[in-house]
Parts: sequence; structure tokens; C-alpha cells
Amino acid sequence: MEMIVVAPSAPGRIEDLRRRFFARPLQALLSLVSLATMVFLAWKLLNWAIFSAVFTTSGGPEACQAAAGACWSVIAARWRIILFGLYPFEEQWRSALACVAVVVMTVLSCIPAFWTGRRIALVWGVGTALYYVLMKGGMLGLAYVGEEAWGGLALTLFIFVTTCLIGFPLAICLALLRRSELPWISHTTGLIIDGVRSLPLISILFTFAVVLPFALPQWLAGDKLYRVIIGSALFFSAYQAEIVRGGMQGVPKGQEEAAMALGMSYWQRIGRILLPQAMRNALPATINQFVISFKETSLVVIVGFFEILASGNAAYGTGEWRFAYVEVYAFIAFIYFVFVFSLSRYGAFLERRMSVGER
Amino acid sequence: MNSTQSPGAAVRIENLDKYYGSFHALRKINLSVERGERIVVCGPSGSGKSTMIRCINRLEQHNGGRITVLGTELNDDVGNIDGIRREVGMVFQHFNLFPHMTVLENCMLAPMIVRKQPRAEAEATARRYLEKVRIPEQAMKFPGQLSGGQQQRVAIARALCMQPQIMLFDEPTSALDPEMIAEVLDVMVTLASEGMTMICVTHEMGFARRVADRVIFMDGGEIVEEAPPEEFFTSSRNERTRQFLSQVLGH
Amino acid sequence: MSSLLRNQKVRNALLQLLYVGSIAALVLAGVAIARQNLAEQGITSGFDFLSKSTGWDVNFSLLPATANDPYWWFFLIGIINTLFLGSVGLMLATIVGTIVGLARTSSNELARLLGRTYVDIFRNIPLILQVFFWYAVITHLPTPRSAYEAWGMLLTSRGLYVPVPNVGGPAMTLAIFALIAAIALPVWLGRTSRLSQPIGERLAIQLAGAAAALAGAAIILAIGRLPDLPLVDFPALQGLNLKGGLRIPPEFSALAIAIAIYGGSYIAEIVRGGFKAVGKGQMEAALSLGLSPWRVFTLVRLPLALRAMLPILANQYVWLIKATTMGIAVGFTDFFMIVALTINHSGQTLEAIGILMAGFLTINLSLAAVFNRINKAIALKGNQLRG
Ligand SMILES: Nc1ncnc2c1ncn2[C@@H]1O[C@H](COP(=O)(O)OP(=O)(O)O)[C@@H](O)[C@H]1O
Ligand SMILES: [Mg+2]
Repeated sequence: MEMIVVAPSAPGRIEDLRRRFFARPLQALLSLVSLATMVFLAWKLLNWAIFSAVFTTSGGPEACQAAAGACWSVIAARWRIILFGLYPFEEQWRSALACVAVVVMTVLSCIPAFWTGRRIALVWGVGTALYYVLMKGGMLGLAYVGEEAWGGLALTLFIFVTTCLIGFPLAICLALLRRSELPWISHTTGLIIDGVRSLPLISILFTFAVVLPFALPQWLAGDKLYRVIIGSALFFSAYQAEIVRGGMQGVPKGQEEAAMALGMSYWQRIGRILLPQAMRNALPATINQFVISFKETSLVVIVGFFEILASGNAAYGTGEWRFAYVEVYAFIAFIYFVFVFSLSRYGAFLERRMSVGER
Repeated sequence: MNSTQSPGAAVRIENLDKYYGSFHALRKINLSVERGERIVVCGPSGSGKSTMIRCINRLEQHNGGRITVLGTELNDDVGNIDGIRREVGMVFQHFNLFPHMTVLENCMLAPMIVRKQPRAEAEATARRYLEKVRIPEQAMKFPGQLSGGQQQRVAIARALCMQPQIMLFDEPTSALDPEMIAEVLDVMVTLASEGMTMICVTHEMGFARRVADRVIFMDGGEIVEEAPPEEFFTSSRNERTRQFLSQVLGH
Repeated sequence: MSSLLRNQKVRNALLQLLYVGSIAALVLAGVAIARQNLAEQGITSGFDFLSKSTGWDVNFSLLPATANDPYWWFFLIGIINTLFLGSVGLMLATIVGTIVGLARTSSNELARLLGRTYVDIFRNIPLILQVFFWYAVITHLPTPRSAYEAWGMLLTSRGLYVPVPNVGGPAMTLAIFALIAAIALPVWLGRTSRLSQPIGERLAIQLAGAAAALAGAAIILAIGRLPDLPLVDFPALQGLNLKGGLRIPPEFSALAIAIAIYGGSYIAEIVRGGFKAVGKGQMEAALSLGLSPWRVFTLVRLPLALRAMLPILANQYVWLIKATTMGIAVGFTDFFMIVALTINHSGQTLEAIGILMAGFLTINLSLAAVFNRINKAIALKGNQLRG
């Protein structure tokens, strides 16, 4: 019965398909090649990742290695190392909770209701403090766990969050200094910003981790983790400063003049008039910068931190799981992908919304 | 600043010189404005009208001569500049309302953070002035949701909320469609009738005729002519003034 | 005093002095402390160490290198390695990016979907993770005994072995230049010949140019050929190891592949943006003039899109060159790794960091200068593109 109902529209649909994919010979060829590629890759991937894959640890690594598909058993066996690094086993719930705190904080700051300087600062301040207390302990009945034992996803998130937390205000300061009317100040700042931007992040991380202790008095050197975070924040701020400055250039000159004419002081003009508008202009580029910076936290592996990438290397690097590197990297890549992709989709959404709003 | 009782003129400009790089924008300007006086400044585009009135609240820094506002000299003293800006309101050609704040917030911001007024008082003042410029019902809207004429009236209210002693207008109606010009001019006429000291750059000659005590004509960075309106419009001696008037009034 | 502080000019002067002064003081203090700390470890500052021999070796070099060579030679090797990896990576990334970007702007929905999937996946995975991945893949390949073989090349866990002609170094360099010319010449000829010429004639000129360059390369190779050896040196198994041919080490391949794939996803977006920036009106105008779709593409769409994407592309290239520093993650001796090794072995920390900064500054500035020149050369006069 249904066939009969559908039938009259069928030629139309076929015609539509023909026009969309097979209108010209070249078009048809392109369609076929694309389709074949897609089907082939999708089939290979699904077959490897699901149909022929081993999911349980019961057979042990040997059975797993023999299987044609992916060996997800390695994740089942080693996920705690990947996510939490060397954090004490019984305390790993704290590490998990800390990650949740960071994720909640990130989600909250995507909601426009929180987009005032004070609320954002509050959300991030509370979120970071919560993370820190949970991870470090030593109070509220939580056992003390030193920074050297932090690792995995939790460490990656910590480095990212603190980088932004320090880097963002620094970026605003740098942007303000660079657009200063006093030539010495703006030129010196420009030199600093351009200098940092011309260097690779790895060299900055290396300098802060390895070289800086020589150049600092003993009492100032602090823990390597915090030095690296400051280096990464400096790098972040050099890029973000240019984004903020771009946002400021988008604010008409008349805005500051009107504020001046009303007798507002420099800081009042900056805080009440210039920055709120500039930040709104700079929002899409800022989110993009966050995305880049999240990906770049992975570089701290080079200066010897046990973040998610390093813990992944460790998860397959030793003993019986040596063969399962693809699965481990796929798992880490998936975690990064979830964070980065959702953040960048959100950025694209905001950009579209804002460009519609302008009209 | 004890400006409320300071003696003498509201604004006194002596031998004012202003350069943009090597370009001489204002040449030896002399002008004195008494309290309660209403001055209209006109002249061809680029003649330095804006530059002159922007020097009065130091949106532009002058390079020579003296400017005294309400008895205080505008010099490098930061305190003087802040004090004078508090007492001098300004309305711009392009309104320059703060787009991220509602109309009410636009009006309350400066009184609260510059004059340190309590919120309730600032709001009462703001509503009173919005009433005065005849748009009390728009208080909760954002500037982008208003017409040009409404925005300019908000801008006037915003300036008035600081309760300034002097108001500067820089072509307040030039960016408006003809049907909106009248509503802004009406507000300005009311303001003038209440005794506000006003310096208006405008080409609205009808307005000049009605309210101005003196009309000033500028050209090439100089004050070319200065006269009461009747005299200015009927028996101007200067060739450049007559030419300009025929252009403005011509059609 | 207080009235002096309220003076704007005095204030401005003080602020500037304070700012510049404190930054300078910070830097100077850091350098002074570092020199003192290093002196306590018996390291004298200065650039004398540059002429001392290193005592360690590099695992990849285009120039001859031994542990007896001085530091300055190693720095040079590092820079050349960085530039070499950078240019190979950029070239591959540009090819990948162009293909994917064209797929993303294609009128075919399936091709667009394919391109988009590619970009979405590879842009959102950190580059270093991709480097690690490819490095693991390559080092997990079969040992030389059971290598994959194709067209005389051998793929093993110790790297890719490719056959090379038995030709002296200078002749080889010249031949490479000739091969580059074989690609560049037709493009240049195509640009300089006039549009009014029939396509067939232009094509013939271009082909002739390419053929001449190729013939030149062949002659150079024949002249520079090493005596008493077969023309081409094929890699082959000898005992447990492979001998002959050119070995491309896993470190290099992993980095080049990762940069190509990751950079390609970014460049694809730039290409797409460039094509999007070309107004529909211009293309319709060209079509309505009776130009064929191919000519509209090569004469109107492509040139305009190139102009739109070039500035962004320049930034991306700079970024990718800097990304070669990830070599240290897998042990490729790029410029940065040489600097890090120098600091480890010689302790000449400040000097090495100084050289690092100067090196990258030079690379960035020269790249920027090159792109500025290209930009200026092809810029439209006036404001046409924006108008
Ligand atoms: N910021 C500036 N930099 C350089 N020249 C300026 C600047 N502002 C104004 N000028 C020049 O000064 C002259 C007077 O400008 P203005 O006072 O705005 O004229 P008006 O308001 O009478 O049209 C004009 O020639 C203008 O080009
Ligand atoms: Mg003007």
C-alpha cells in the first residue's frame, strides 16, 4: 500500500538526486569517488573500532592483540592512568570531581548571563579554587597530594585553566599598554608582544622550566609547574592582547570622547565603556584563541609533565600493551576532540549570531 | 573646584592656537562667553568649529593661548581638567550613546561614578531629565532601538544629568533626518529659555535667530565675524559671511 | 610637589620612565643573576664556546656532521633542518590544504561533506598528538628483514629508504634546482605570455620550458655521476640492516606527515575563505563575457581568491615553521633541539637562548618580508577588493 502512495513523488526525488549529484559527467564522477571514499573509510573505521574490536579485559592482552580490530581492552585496563596519571589510587575520585568542576565552570562561562566582568571572574575564581582544594587537599579532611603527583586529564585541564586565568587579565593589560598615547610605553609593549609572538611556544616553555631558575633568586623560582604555567600564560596573553586590541579598535572613538566629556577617569572609561564593548567585538576570536591554547597545553609534555599525552605514552609504553598504541592515541584524541570541537562549534555559533545581530 | 561662585565669564578664550602636526587649525582665537549667554557658531566645514569647542573641555589639547572655564584655567593640571569636564556637558553630532547600556543606565552612569551619587538619587535625576526631553517611556530600551532624534535627546539628557553649568553642542542635528531635527531643537530651545550657558555649533539658522545672543562665524581657523543675530543675518559686512549665508539660507 | 604630580606632562614622563625602567631593570637583574649562577658552576659567559667542538652528534643532517664539529656548525645544521622540515611540511600542507579546500568549495555536496569531515577531525586534535601517533605508527612498522617494498623503496621501522642516483653533491644540488625550475618555468611562462595567445600555443611554450629544464637536470646528473658505481643506488638488506639508498628517518617522516595533515586542515579553511571572498558578481560578469568556466576559474576566481588568502596564509606558514620545534618530542634535531642540547651539554644557557631568539626572529622577519613583497606585487591598485 505504502509503495503506491510514495510512487508519484519518486520520479521527482530521483530527478532531484540526479540534478544534485549527476548533472554533468565530471560531477557524477566526483560524486562517485567521494561516495566510494566515504563508504570505504566509514566501513574500515567501524569495522576496526566496533565490529572486530575487543572490549573486555577478560582475554588479556594476547587475545586482544590477535583480534583483527581495535583492542579497547587497553583503555579498560589503563584508563585511570590516562585520566589521572600518578594520582593516588584511592583519591582519584577527587581528581575526577576536579575535572567536573572545570567542565562546569567552562559551560557556565558560555552562558551570556555570566558575561559581566565580575560574574566571569567569580565563576573562574571559584572553579579554580575548588579544583585546587580538591586536587591538593591538606584541608577539610582531604589527604595532601603534592603537585608532582598530579597528572593525566586533570593536569591538562589545570594548566589550561590557570593559563587562561593569568593570561587573560595580562592580555588586557598588554592591549591597554600597547594602545597607550605615551610612545615609550606603547613601543616597549609592542616589542614585548611581537617578540613573544615570534617565538615558538615550546621554546618559551623550555625557557621558563629550565632556564629561568638560573635567572631568578632562589626564593622566587617556585615550583616548575607554576613557572611553566606563567610561561604559557605569557604566550597566551601575547596573542590574546592583539585580539583584545582589535576589539578595541572596533569601538568608535566617540565612545571614549563621550565618556571623557562626562568627566570619567581613565579607569572608569576603560572599565565601563571601552572594555565591555571591545570584549564583545573580540568574542569569536577569543574563543578561537581558547581553542588553540587548549590544544597547546599538550606541549608541556616536552618539558616533562605527566599530562594526558605523557600518561597515554606511559599507558601503552610499558609491558604487555605495547602493541595497542593506536587505541590509546585514539582515546586521547577523542577526549581532546570532544573539548575542542564543542568549544569551536560554540565559537562558530556565537559568530553567526553576532553577525546576524549586527544587521 | 569652587566653580559655583567663581566670578567672571563662563568661558574665556585668549589667543588660542591649535596645530594638528604642522596644520594650523585654530589661529589666535579670542572669545568670551558670559554666564547664561547662548552662542551659535557657524562656518564652512573644516573651519575649526569642532576643534574650538572641543578645546573647551579638552578633548583637544591646545598649543598656545589661554582657556579659562568657570574661573579655572585649562592647563596641564589633571585636577583642573577633571573638574572642568564635570561642569561642562557636551552633545555630539553622532550622539555617542553607550550601546551596551539602556537609556536609563546611560543617564545614571556618570552621576554615579563621577559625582558619586547614590543609585536612587541618580535614577530620579535621570528620569526627570528623560521626562524633560520627552522620552520617559524609552528608559529601559537600548540606544540601538531608538530613532536618531530620540537618541540625540537621550544624549542631551545624559549630559544634563551631570548638572553641568555649560553645555556644548557640536552639530547636534546634522546627522538627523529633517523630521527629527525639530524635536531636538525644541529641547534645546527649552534649555536655552531656562538660562543654560550654551555654545552651539549648528547651521540651523532659525534656531540661531530665536535663541542666540551672539552668532560667531568661523573660517580658516579664525573667527571672522561676531554679532547679534539680527545684525548678523541682515547687515553682515564680511564677504565670506555673506557668501556662506547665501549658501545656507539660499535654498 | 603634589602640584607637580598633578601636572599631566610630568605624570606622563614619570609613567614612561617607570615602565621602561622597571622592565629594563627586571631583564638586567635576571641576566646578572644568571651570569653569577652560571659563573658559580664554572661556566664563563661569552660566545667563545661556538668554536669548540660539541662532543655529541645529531641524528639528522643535510650537511656532514660529526661530534668533532664546532657548535656554530651545529647551530647552522639545526637551522637548515628546521627550514628543510618547514619547507617540506609547508609544501605538503599546502597541497593537502588546497585539495581539501577545493573540495570544501565544490558545488558537489558529497565532496563538501568529505572535506568538512577532514577539517573537523584533524583541526581538533593537537598537532603533537598527531606527531606522536605517526611516530608510533612508523616505529611499529616491520623490521628491515620484513620491510614493505614498492618501486625500489623500502618502508621499515627504521625509516623510509629511497633509491638515489649516485651523483656528487654539487651536481645533485644543481639538479634539484633544475627540477624546481621545471615546475616554476611553465608557471612563469604562463604568466608572462599574453592572454590573446591561443591556449594551444601557450601550452606548447610551457611544455617546452618544462622539457628544457628536465633535460638540463638529466645532463647535470649525467655529468656529475660518480665513477664505477651503478647509476642508481638501491637500498638492500645486508645482514640485519639495510644498506644503500637514502634513509628518511622516522622522526622526520612523522613530523612531515603530521604537519601536512594538521596544517592542511588549517590551510583548507584559508583556501575556502579566500574563495568565499570572491564576489559572485565578478564571476557572473566573467561568465557573461563568454569566458569558459575553466578560464573564469584561472583568470578571475583563482587570482582574486589568492589575493584574499595570502595575508592569512602568511601567518599560517609562520605558525607551521614554529611548529617544527615539536621535533624535540620525537628526537628530530631541529634548531630548537640543538639549542636545548647545547644548554644541556655546555651550560651556555644565556647565549644559547639568545641565539634561539635571534634565529626565530630572523626566520619570521624574512618570511614576513617575502610575503609582504608578494602581497605588494599582486595587490590590486586602490581599494577594489573591499569596495
Ligand atoms: N585629529 C585631526 N588630525 C588632523 N587634522 C584634523 C584633526 N581634526 C581636525 N582636523 C583638521 O582641522 C580642521 C578643522 O576641523 P574641524 O574643527 O573638525 O572643522 P569643522 O568642525 O569646522 O568642520 C580641518 O581642516 C580638519 O581637517
Ligand atoms: Mg565639525
